Amino acid sequence: MKKYIQTTVDVVDYSSLPLVQKYALADLLYVAYGLLIVMLVLVSYFAGMFDMLPHDPQQINMDLLMSPPGTDGHLLGTDFMGRDILSRLIVGIQAYFLPGMLAISIALAGGVILGVPAGYWGGRIATCITYISNLVDSFPRMVLILLVIAAFKPDIYYIMIVMGITGVPAVATAISNKIYFLSQKNFIEAARALGLRRRVIIFKHILWYNCRALLIIQATLGMGEAILLETSLSYLGFGVQEPVPSWGNMVQSGANYFLQGNFWPSTAPALAILFTILGFNLLGDGLNNILEDRRGK
Amino acid sequence: MKQGVVILMLAAGLLTAITAAQAEDSRRGGVLNYGEYGRPATLDPITSNEMIALRISELLFNGLVGINERQDVVPELAQSWDIAKDGMTYTFHLRKDVTWHAKPGETPMPFTASDVVFTYNIMMNPKTITPLKVRYEFIDKVEKIDDYTVRFTLKRPVLNALAKFSFKIIPKFALKNPLYLTRDDPFVQQPIGTGPYRLSKITEDHEIVMVANEHYFKGRPNIDEFVAKPFADQNILTQALTFNAIDMIVLVNPRSIAELQGDKRFILQPYNALSYSFFGYNLRNPLLADKRVRQAFGYALNREEMLSSFFNNQGTIISGPFAPGSWAYNLDVKPMPYDPKKAIALLGDAGFKRGSDGIMQKDGKKLQMTLLVPIEKESESTKRVVLAFQNYLKNVGVGIKVEFKEWQAWKEDVFNEHHFDIVLASWVFDDSADISSLFHSAEIGPWRNNFIGYSNPEVDSLIVESKLTLDYEKRRTINRKLHALLAEEAPYTFLWTLTNYSAYHKKIHHVQIHPYKFFPFANEWYIPLNQQKR
Repeated sequence: MKKYIQTTVDVVDYSSLPLVQKYALADLLYVAYGLLIVMLVLVSYFAGMFDMLPHDPQQINMDLLMSPPGTDGHLLGTDFMGRDILSRLIVGIQAYFLPGMLAISIALAGGVILGVPAGYWGGRIATCITYISNLVDSFPRMVLILLVIAAFKPDIYYIMIVMGITGVPAVATAISNKIYFLSQKNFIEAARALGLRRRVIIFKHILWYNCRALLIIQATLGMGEAILLETSLSYLGFGVQEPVPSWGNMVQSGANYFLQGNFWPSTAPALAILFTILGFNLLGDGLNNILEDRRGK
Repeated sequence: MKQGVVILMLAAGLLTAITAAQAEDSRRGGVLNYGEYGRPATLDPITSNEMIALRISELLFNGLVGINERQDVVPELAQSWDIAKDGMTYTFHLRKDVTWHAKPGETPMPFTASDVVFTYNIMMNPKTITPLKVRYEFIDKVEKIDDYTVRFTLKRPVLNALAKFSFKIIPKFALKNPLYLTRDDPFVQQPIGTGPYRLSKITEDHEIVMVANEHYFKGRPNIDEFVAKPFADQNILTQALTFNAIDMIVLVNPRSIAELQGDKRFILQPYNALSYSFFGYNLRNPLLADKRVRQAFGYALNREEMLSSFFNNQGTIISGPFAPGSWAYNLDVKPMPYDPKKAIALLGDAGFKRGSDGIMQKDGKKLQMTLLVPIEKESESTKRVVLAFQNYLKNVGVGIKVEFKEWQAWKEDVFNEHHFDIVLASWVFDDSADISSLFHSAEIGPWRNNFIGYSNPEVDSLIVESKLTLDYEKRRTINRKLHALLAEEAPYTFLWTLTNYSAYHKKIHHVQIHPYKFFPFANEWYIPLNQQKR
């Protein structure tokens, strides 16, 4: 069957132009940097999984508490229990990897389930779904998470489930807006007139052809947000718990010694957080501009 | 220019003249800002259960008697007392010159015997929620003889009962509900007392401002104002002191001691708190019910290393259930040494063998325990001790799973559900010789202090004997026996008492700190006139 695609902007043929002219240079740099970070994250993740680490991240060494970078083979120094900071940084990404994926999956799945009917049928269904979204949105996320922690225990998976659920409205709104925008372009109507089944229209034409970029962008931003959320919770003491390392709890425990001149235990993970979140956000932004063809002026 | 200098010199001369004229007032005035690590929920002496509030109530209130720096009982609201020969009745003759705090312009109300009777009744009313109730169950009744005489009748003679009459007296007229006191009563936020300082206001930043009580019966205190400033973060507390935002820290974080020691502007004053830290074992767990296992845990820990690495050696390793500052502490009992070989041997005696994964097991059951830790505001040193504990025990083949819990949930699990294997906690004592609530089998139950479920008839009888005896030396002997017995039984692994340090600016003079209550002597502290700038 022939594909019926209509671009969302007035047709100008960019495909023959070289990449750099086609997209803004900044966007390409953003994406390149973002991909670099994603790659580093993946490498760290698998290095941690297969124990390819300079030291055992949980090995306590009472003789080497807070030793500065470079001491005795510890490239980034040791923390308040004499544990190797570099190894803990590498293993720390595991705290976010699967839980973050879980949060993103929940947010995306929920967003699609709510967003598609709202955008496709509109009317009362849309109103109803807007109410649900507003209801979820009106709970302060932090309070909700602290409630869950008090009721169960501080576990990153519980936190990420809450994060996923509270992330649903944003995704749902983005999708329903997108579909509304598409339906204005009449091609959905055309597809319907051609006798395509609703299932095909929704999944293939709407979600796959037109929303996948949006979903990828939401997922990328979600990962950055997951790291940030865990970090702020760790500062309150409710994030990932010792002895399991996470960047958040490394910053938190290191911060206690920061003012005494031992800056490395908190600085290393803080920089890791900074560059990683920056990476994910720039990747999201760059992809948004490139895939959605919103070119920077 | 020259003229300017002359005028300045003249002014300086004038100033000296004025100061000389007011020689007796040269100590009066000034503001003392002290930093606290939080803000108290209530400010009255009855419903509050935090150290922060306890310190404030020392400034705002008085008891019938006080305890001086040598731990002697001294008159306060009562100027004298008679104790009946059988030790069953205590009659207090009250001071007649004491008035309740009054705002400027109001006439102060006099303090009378009715207030004492009232305070006792409020305290013992079942609807009043107060940690004090259990301490005064030995009192049978209290009567007002006349306006300035009050008599307490006891249920049984009690050793050193006089010191227990140091509970703070509250005014009869100030409570909304005359029968009992709850945290809804406005009094808990706007307390009225007889103490050296009067609550002036609580600012929007939750600073508690207290001003000198002009009518204080021991004479007006020297310093004009005490301000308690709450800080959420202990690191900032130290910074605030070094940048002169506050003049005093009541409890310096062990991490900051070295930093403050080097600073010539401040004085670091140690004071011995009657407290200690311990690992407590849930004896309802059959593995932990075996004494040898608990002893093995004790031998596996290198407490000296922890104390020196984590607390800069600011403390003392202890061997038994009494706070080391207490007269009941038995110095002949030595703390368990670090001896991992002995720990492994003891576990072997108890029938455990190392499995292939390095963890000890018996009859296929692994020696694996959960250590329940509350998430606190200031948890860094707790975290360190807990992780070190896990590490030490791993070395002798014991698996420890550290589980962190939110504070309320932790209390629920430990004190109510008894759902834990091991906890790290500490006790703070005001009566250093009374450990009955911790180890007597009658104290097992929800929300009671014997949360580990320790039951030993020998300990029970020693505790009762110690409570009933009126002879000081005899009681000391019993307590020493108790100490040795509990050290051997190891229901807790006793860790250490940390030395508390207060840090304050050199401008504050004549500072004396009470080990537990902190502020009882604050009315005599002073800041010389020339250093009183705000």
